[in-house]
Amino acid sequence: MSVADPGFPIPVPDADTQPFWDACARGELLIQRCGRCSKWLWQPRPICSSCQAPDPVWTRVDGAGVVASWMVMRPPTLPAYAEQVPFVVLLVELEQGVRLLGYLVDDAGQVLRTDGAPEKVTIGTRVALRFHDQAGTPLPCWTMAAPRV
Amino acid sequence: MVTRPARRARRRQAAVVGIHALPFSKNIGMTERRAGGLAILGALADAGLGVADVDGMFRYVWEGTTEMEMARILGVPNLRMFGEVDYGGGAGAPTVSHAALAIENDLADVVVVWRARNRSSGGRPWVSQLHATGQDQFERPYGIVRPVDGMALHTRFWMHRYGWAPEVLGRVAVTQRGHARRNPAALMQKPMTMDDYLGSRMIADPLRLFDCCLETDAAMAMVLTSAERATDLKSTPAFVTGFGMGSGPQMTAMTFYYGERLGETPNRYVAPELWRNTGLAPRDIDVVQFYDAFTPQIPLGFEEYGFCGEGESPAYMADGAAPPYNTSGGGLSEAYVHGFNLLVEGVRQVRGASTSQVANVRHSLVTSGNVVPTGAIVFSKEPW
Repeated sequence: MSVADPGFPIPVPDADTQPFWDACARGELLIQRCGRCSKWLWQPRPICSSCQAPDPVWTRVDGAGVVASWMVMRPPTLPAYAEQVPFVVLLVELEQGVRLLGYLVDDAGQVLRTDGAPEKVTIGTRVALRFHDQAGTPLPCWTMAAPRV
Repeated sequence: MVTRPARRARRRQAAVVGIHALPFSKNIGMTERRAGGLAILGALADAGLGVADVDGMFRYVWEGTTEMEMARILGVPNLRMFGEVDYGGGAGAPTVSHAALAIENDLADVVVVWRARNRSSGGRPWVSQLHATGQDQFERPYGIVRPVDGMALHTRFWMHRYGWAPEVLGRVAVTQRGHARRNPAALMQKPMTMDDYLGSRMIADPLRLFDCCLETDAAMAMVLTSAERATDLKSTPAFVTGFGMGSGPQMTAMTFYYGERLGETPNRYVAPELWRNTGLAPRDIDVVQFYDAFTPQIPLGFEEYGFCGEGESPAYMADGAAPPYNTSGGGLSEAYVHGFNLLVEGVRQVRGASTSQVANVRHSLVTSGNVVPTGAIVFSKEPW
């Protein structure tokens, strides 16, 4: 850990997950999809757990989804989060059916200091993908989507 | 008439013949190695056995002292069987199950299991886990670092799906505090009302402080031997009637949000194994110790082990139909020992030695952590 590191947990990719993080650095969300049975897969893996075909295909998605669950972070947690609490962590179900975690962020990708009440976060809320830069690590996150017309 | 073909095929039955706990505390003032060794010696003394009798040891992977080191310190002549079970609080019943399997298959005669953990004075493990590999790289960077964080996302979903009011969880906390106050060994002796529960601060909303287990220094041990040898010993045996284990599909420790059936826990997969292996049904269980790092694990336990239907636990627990649960105060109010205190209390209920003793206990169920691969075990008053 460098001197400047604020102490956030840092993703440590390996060969099976590196493409995901490389894409995040480009502002893209990649999810694996099996080239044989077309199953969408999360978390990343080297073999399709539905049909056992090796090397699922990294596939770009737009990240639109709905809140499947959510929680509000309160102390005591890591010192790195002291300036950020309270904040909301979402479990988002993408249109492809996979579920990912992420902060609730504003339209610019900044983490909202909130308990979710002003935003009326609830299970079923529609959200859209944003990236939040956490001390140099681009993290997929979600913002309240405009209602569909 | 219940048939148990799988069990009858085995040559021997196992029984718990020794239990021991060092006093629970916030600072035990010694290494886990020393505390674990003393707990094992206490459990052997409870059984009327000695170190020279021990020929098997099983432990949690998270145990800080290996069975090799513990055997060396104590002077065990030879370990004929040994092993470890992973996944934190999921390992409790499975570790005892492995000990029982060694005895049932005539691979060991006297097997020790133990758990010594300075979880209070030794600090919180998640504070130093800043390099997130494997599943953690998609979770920890968002602050999902404490066990309560993973559980909070599950709990919100269960509250939404089943319409749980906060009082459903509050009743668990209040009930277990009542048990703790009858147990002089329990760390939490202060009365708790529903208002106290509802007034406790949010830690990982929707989970409050009083939804969470304690942080404890503890050392506990258990000794098992064959049912045949148990009858010659001084202690009252608790016979191991059976057990089950399970992971369920698409498991990730603490955060299994990614599979097809959101909200379902490994309990759902342990339960059929447990009932098939024991030849019992929920109606046969007189008392239960559900793994209770957090309050929602109790209503979910009643549902997923089949005591009541899905979504029925609040009414089932309120109308007096449910068997008494977590009678020592459990992880919430006695001590948090990765569920080892639940195993010991399950044995005490068979012995008739609980401070919240249930009358005429024939079968005592203990489950382990249901947000990781896990298991459950039944201790009984009578042998097969």
